[in-house]
Amino acid sequence: MKLYYKILFSTLLLGIVSCTDVIEVDVPEGPIRLTIEASLDWEKGTSGNQQTILLSTSTPYFESQNNSAVTGANVLVRNNDTGAVFNFDDQNDGSYTTSSFVPILGDSYTLEVLYQGETYTGTETMMPVSDISAITQSKEDGEDDEALEVNVSFLDPADIENHYFLRFQSRVDRLPELFYIKDEFVDGNEVTFYYEKIEDEDDNIEEFKPGDTVDIVLLGISEDYHNYLRLLVEQFESAGDAFSATPVALVGNCINVDNPENIPYGYFRVSEKVESSFTFE
Amino acid sequence: MKRKKDRHRPMRLLFGLCLFLGTLTASAQNNYTISGNVKDKINGETLFGTSIFLKGTTIGAITNEYGFYSITAPKGSYTLVFSHLGYQEISMQVVLDQNQKIDMEIEESSTQLDEVEVTAEEPERAILRKPEMSVSKLNIKTVKQMPVVLGEVDVIKSLQILPGVTNNGEGSSGFHVRGGAVDQNLVLLDEAIIYNTSHMLGFFSVFNADAVKDLKLYKGGIPAKFGGRVSSVLDVRQKDGNSKNFALTGGIGAISSRLAAEGPMFNDRGSFLIAGRGSYAHLFLKLAGEKNSVSFYDLNLKTNYRLNDNNKLFLSSYFGRDVFNFDGSFSSSYGNASGNLRWNHIFNERLFSNLSLIYSKYDYELGIEDFEFDWISSIKNYNAKYDLKYYFSDAFKLDFGVSTIKYEFDPGQIRPTGPSSAINELQLDKKRALESAAYINAEHKLTDRLTAQYGLRFSHFNRMGGQPLSEYANDQPLVYNPTLRFYQRTDPIGEIVYKKSESIKKFSNFEPRLALAYQLNDYSSIKLGYSRAAQYIHLLSNTSSVTPLDVWTPSGKYIKPQLSDQYALGYFRNFRDKMYSLEVETYYKTVDNRIDYIDGSDLIGNNTIEREILNGESRAYGLELLLRKNEGPLTGWISYTLSKSEQRTFGGNAGGPGINNGNWYNTPHDRTHDISVTGAYQFNDKWSFGANAIFQTGRPVTYPNGQYQYEGISIASYSDRNADRLPAYYRLDVSATYKPNRKPHKKWKGEWVFGIYNVFNRKNAAAISFGQNFETGVNEATRTAIFGIVPSVTYNFKF
Repeated sequence: MKLYYKILFSTLLLGIVSCTDVIEVDVPEGPIRLTIEASLDWEKGTSGNQQTILLSTSTPYFESQNNSAVTGANVLVRNNDTGAVFNFDDQNDGSYTTSSFVPILGDSYTLEVLYQGETYTGTETMMPVSDISAITQSKEDGEDDEALEVNVSFLDPADIENHYFLRFQSRVDRLPELFYIKDEFVDGNEVTFYYEKIEDEDDNIEEFKPGDTVDIVLLGISEDYHNYLRLLVEQFESAGDAFSATPVALVGNCINVDNPENIPYGYFRVSEKVESSFTFE
Repeated sequence: MKRKKDRHRPMRLLFGLCLFLGTLTASAQNNYTISGNVKDKINGETLFGTSIFLKGTTIGAITNEYGFYSITAPKGSYTLVFSHLGYQEISMQVVLDQNQKIDMEIEESSTQLDEVEVTAEEPERAILRKPEMSVSKLNIKTVKQMPVVLGEVDVIKSLQILPGVTNNGEGSSGFHVRGGAVDQNLVLLDEAIIYNTSHMLGFFSVFNADAVKDLKLYKGGIPAKFGGRVSSVLDVRQKDGNSKNFALTGGIGAISSRLAAEGPMFNDRGSFLIAGRGSYAHLFLKLAGEKNSVSFYDLNLKTNYRLNDNNKLFLSSYFGRDVFNFDGSFSSSYGNASGNLRWNHIFNERLFSNLSLIYSKYDYELGIEDFEFDWISSIKNYNAKYDLKYYFSDAFKLDFGVSTIKYEFDPGQIRPTGPSSAINELQLDKKRALESAAYINAEHKLTDRLTAQYGLRFSHFNRMGGQPLSEYANDQPLVYNPTLRFYQRTDPIGEIVYKKSESIKKFSNFEPRLALAYQLNDYSSIKLGYSRAAQYIHLLSNTSSVTPLDVWTPSGKYIKPQLSDQYALGYFRNFRDKMYSLEVETYYKTVDNRIDYIDGSDLIGNNTIEREILNGESRAYGLELLLRKNEGPLTGWISYTLSKSEQRTFGGNAGGPGINNGNWYNTPHDRTHDISVTGAYQFNDKWSFGANAIFQTGRPVTYPNGQYQYEGISIASYSDRNADRLPAYYRLDVSATYKPNRKPHKKWKGEWVFGIYNVFNRKNAAAISFGQNFETGVNEATRTAIFGIVPSVTYNFKF
């Protein structure tokens, strides 16, 4: 819904009478904080033993992100139901890895990060996901009847609340297309989402061509993480335009135990995942 | 039983009042009254704001919205004067030894060149003696002289160049008064509530200038007869229609055209007006291969019928619609519709009454073809009003009446439109409410120099049953999570179903209104005012600009009525025999129970709005200055506003520090400086010119204060809400009007209006968005500017 009316009004404003250009703006500088990207995704049909957690720091808005990797932290994940502890090894490039993680659906996990004398923790439950039922391509669906789009369908289980994170990454592009999905209006139905690129000369966006490949990831997620992603995606796509809410700080599920004011960015998620890729014909 | 009592209270008040009036009348026997109607001699339109006075005395009156006046004075011989700026003054001798009725038709001062006369109408000058303040009046003639964007005369845009009125940037709907929000304005078109004042997202207003007679914006000091909104009242009146001759007026522009027909009806017992307007830019866009289209149209109707000297009926209605279509993948249409039946009844020369039965509706439809569903939503109301004005004596006039509004809210329904639609049918809970009020207001001349206006409005709101309502543990629909530091929605523990006969919640408020005017001398006065107002319905909108798809919601268990208190002080002065006038006002306004939205609030299709909001407060203060030149070939004004508008929301029952940590923050419509200069210059009989220059502080916005990597993208971090600002806005517009040579007897009168909007083609930022470049991934700031330089040509005609 939201997406639609945003497109509706933005298109009117942008497409018909307005013009856009890139300008220089002075922005404020907030505190530098730890960013935790702890995404323990268990691909269906695999052991899920191999997992990676990424740590970095935030930077001023217009600065390069090249040197923000965090090394020297201690990272572990604990299964709160079984008591099992998984230590993540510092790879000295901002990534921390393990090859012994044991994923169990419905179990609760806690992340602990010790960095510069402060302990950060977060807790999340592992959520299941539906299988992708179909991946197709078409032209007539989507916003533009002449542009190619890839359609991904899956069947939502009836009578239970489900939340999903669907990620498209075109191999020829830098930025992904992200969808946060709640089954509120579509409970129990087969649902289809599409990824279509509309040509835009100003932004150097080209339509999909035969031969382009898109990687597709579908995750089962918690309601809280869905709400986090909703705000993240909305703000990523349209923060600042007149038909968006005032952008605000994203609140993840990790806290700083020793210094509560120094809140970390990022999220700790534990999800079942299905993955696929699609090449346009 | 309790409800019954409440409903009857206003009636009892009224009854008591009539008794009171009866005794007053009885005690004033040696005075006599002149009453009647004032009309324009040429087209028969009743005139609002004509001053009628007895020469050499301070006794006088001003015609009301229906052209009625009443003057009471001791027995004697007088010279009675009718004065209306732009019209010839008429004096006549009267011997007042009995009550008498004098209807008058007055003529515009230079009949042979009626359009050449460029003077402000009387109401636009500083009126010194009346306590009325914080009011902006515009005659439609003045509005039509201003340069406009896209060649279409716009009532709302004209208001925005007066002090204290702003918009949220080009391409935004509605308007803001003294730091208030869009939904805090009561907008009335012939007394019917208009819920959305904009066509095409604010590019045009819903008011067709050819159908409008006059408009009055109350920024404060709202008279007791108005209620229901805390910020302002915009009272727009449609023309009655020419009662002398059949006439056609119209205009042809690049984006839209309009046509109005008016004339006498019912053997001169009445008249009619029918006006239509439509845009056709979408047709050109289609020809140009553009797949998206936008269009609007509207229709105004009015007719009146005089039963006899004391009874007159009016029927008026409005219908407007916007239609959007996006390449067959989604479409939307929305608009207002209203109808009003009025009965003017004059009981006697001193007691005037009007009964109105009004219907109005706003609805929208959004069709999403890709996912095969329709989304529809509406708000409807039925309104009955009875207003009376009693002209007790020259020194004392009373307004009183009752009003009741029945609301029906349909916050949204989803209907699948195809067999393969993945969307399930859904109906959000419909809501019902009844808003009733009774008021009394006196205009009291205490001494020759001091006049007071004091009144009281009693309002009552009944949020009626007929719907289920979610229940929460400890009555907390949301609760602060102190560990993660954010407001978290709680799950309902149950549901109560209220029967239609039950009431969910009731509120009542006394709203005192007071204004004083002290005339210092013949050319200057000081006024002060206080008013309290209650607002029971709210527009849910968490975006910087409201959209046509925002939904209205009534007060109830979780949403309290907004209550405002406004204090204002003003100095008014006329210079050089009224050639110039100066108005300076300062105000301080607070609003309690202003809804604010938690971080990440989601309002779309949401049945439990209480889980997304907190009740906060807002405050606004400012200084307004308006210097006008009213006469001569060059007329116009300089307007300056210095102001502040902020809001603050504590956690309340949900705990925690509140929104934005419980700190005051700028509302999106806060503008520190707002300056505009408007001028109209009459060069000769054929050519006249107009210009506007506008400077405004930029809109408050929230800029990112850092970034971090997540999911392979750069995520912006933010802190305090609205702590930054867009760059300042400024613009210059010019226009020229050419009236070709006319033969005096020719009925057809045409004119060409050439306009240039934003002459310097300045790219004013309507918004600045932040994000990664699609190709390079580097963060950048993108400015959206709506209108660059826009030339326009319009041809207007009268026949």
